[in-house]
Amino acid sequence: MKRILIPFVLVLILSVLSISAALAQVETRVRIIEASNVGSNIDPSLRDITDQVRSLFSFRSYRLLRDETVSLRPNQPIMIPVHPRRSLELTLIGEQRGSAEIRVKIKQDKTDILNTQVRLTPGRTVSIGGPKHGQGTLLIALSRL
Amino acid sequence: MDAHELQVISRCQRGDQEALKEIFNQYHHRVYRIAYGVVRQREEALDIVQEVFIKLFRSIGQFKGKSQFYTYLYRMAMNTAIDHSRKMKKVPPSTSDEEEGLQLSDVAERRPDRILDQKELEEKVKWATDQLSPDQKAALIYREVEGLSYEEIAKAMGCSIGTVMSRLHYGRKKVQELLKGYLEGGR
Amino acid sequence: MKRECSSVSKLLDKYFDHEVTEGEKSLIDGHLPDCPACRRTLQSMENLRTLIKRPVEEAAEKEVFPWVWEKIERGIRETEKPALWDFLRSWLNVTPLLRRKIWIPALAAAAILILMIAPLLYVKISSHPALSVVEYVESETHNVMVYELENQKVTVIWLFNGLEEGASTS
Repeated sequence: MKRILIPFVLVLILSVLSISAALAQVETRVRIIEASNVGSNIDPSLRDITDQVRSLFSFRSYRLLRDETVSLRPNQPIMIPVHPRRSLELTLIGEQRGSAEIRVKIKQDKTDILNTQVRLTPGRTVSIGGPKHGQGTLLIALSRL
Repeated sequence: MDAHELQVISRCQRGDQEALKEIFNQYHHRVYRIAYGVVRQREEALDIVQEVFIKLFRSIGQFKGKSQFYTYLYRMAMNTAIDHSRKMKKVPPSTSDEEEGLQLSDVAERRPDRILDQKELEEKVKWATDQLSPDQKAALIYREVEGLSYEEIAKAMGCSIGTVMSRLHYGRKKVQELLKGYLEGGR
Repeated sequence: MKRECSSVSKLLDKYFDHEVTEGEKSLIDGHLPDCPACRRTLQSMENLRTLIKRPVEEAAEKEVFPWVWEKIERGIRETEKPALWDFLRSWLNVTPLLRRKIWIPALAAAAILILMIAPLLYVKISSHPALSVVEYVESETHNVMVYELENQKVTVIWLFNGLEEGASTS
């Protein structure tokens, strides 16, 4: 009986580990936007954000600069260039009760102009904005898929 | 079968090649003798020894200890040797002199008193034993080469003692007829 | 004599192989001195045994078995893949008829495992409003404000009054 159980248990453990590894990945959508009052074009794919932030800000134009989906794995940072001198770094810290804890850094040259940790859940967008970009303001929208 | 041999066999069944080496060291001479007794050629006999121990390692799990281990090994050795002999049988026995490429019965009938050199005699003996059925040949080799008792031969061949006696009797009789001129009067 | 000879000749093989009973041995021992035919038969058997046995003994005596063990080891390595399966099967002591006894509980266990893990595959929206979306926020160059709207579907982190403001960033 032992001869059957031992390999059997090993297979079960491996299955659990592989499933756990698969579950640990978090798919995150990153949209980099230039918000400004130049013109009044709103990129159609940004409707969900603009509807949300309209009550907070009075930008008339929202231009999508970059739209990426990244797979975040625990403690494995992903760097996304935002600007020749700026980059966005995302690191999955962990998952708790269905929400992914993600550390977000915006770096300019070697300086952290922002270091924050947010909880993302499906259906919720976290927007980070403020730095100047061209004739407008940089806005970064993070949402979990 | 003593406790040590049981232990070695058990280790070999679990894939321990060192255990196989112990078995090889103990039995390879006997396997060689059986192989040589059947094929009567050195290189072929060595190939058979090699093949037998490789087969043994792969199949030793089937040995349940109900018989003596050497009986199991002898049977494997004999079957392997006879298979080899069957394959080689298609090639007629070669002689150094083309003129003497005759069937033994021709030689026996025409020149029974001719003195053959050792090599040719060996070939004639091989030819004669090759005319036996596999069972007769096996019984003869077990008895004449290994000196096994009737009971031991019966266990190795999986038959009754009466059957062993019958195979030996008719095997000897046939070979004696085929080697008639070389057995009478002694050599 | 002739009648005795026909009886004895049937026992000659056994006599030659030392497999006769004491009674049979006595009979043959008593018969042989007076029967050249039986003696010739025994001699012929002896000669045959010598012809068969001597070359084998000579060959075995001088044989050194060069590299035979090494060839056996190599042969085993070369046949290891299929043999490995035989080894695993013998180790598990499984026959084709008994395989179901492994796979049925294995499948059952796998099904239970999947049922246990399945809920984790579907992420539910957090129902813990007490947890803030933003755990912390820091900036070396800006002031930071965090906006969370009442319905908590919108969270905005805003950087302002930065050191770079006023300079072109394009």
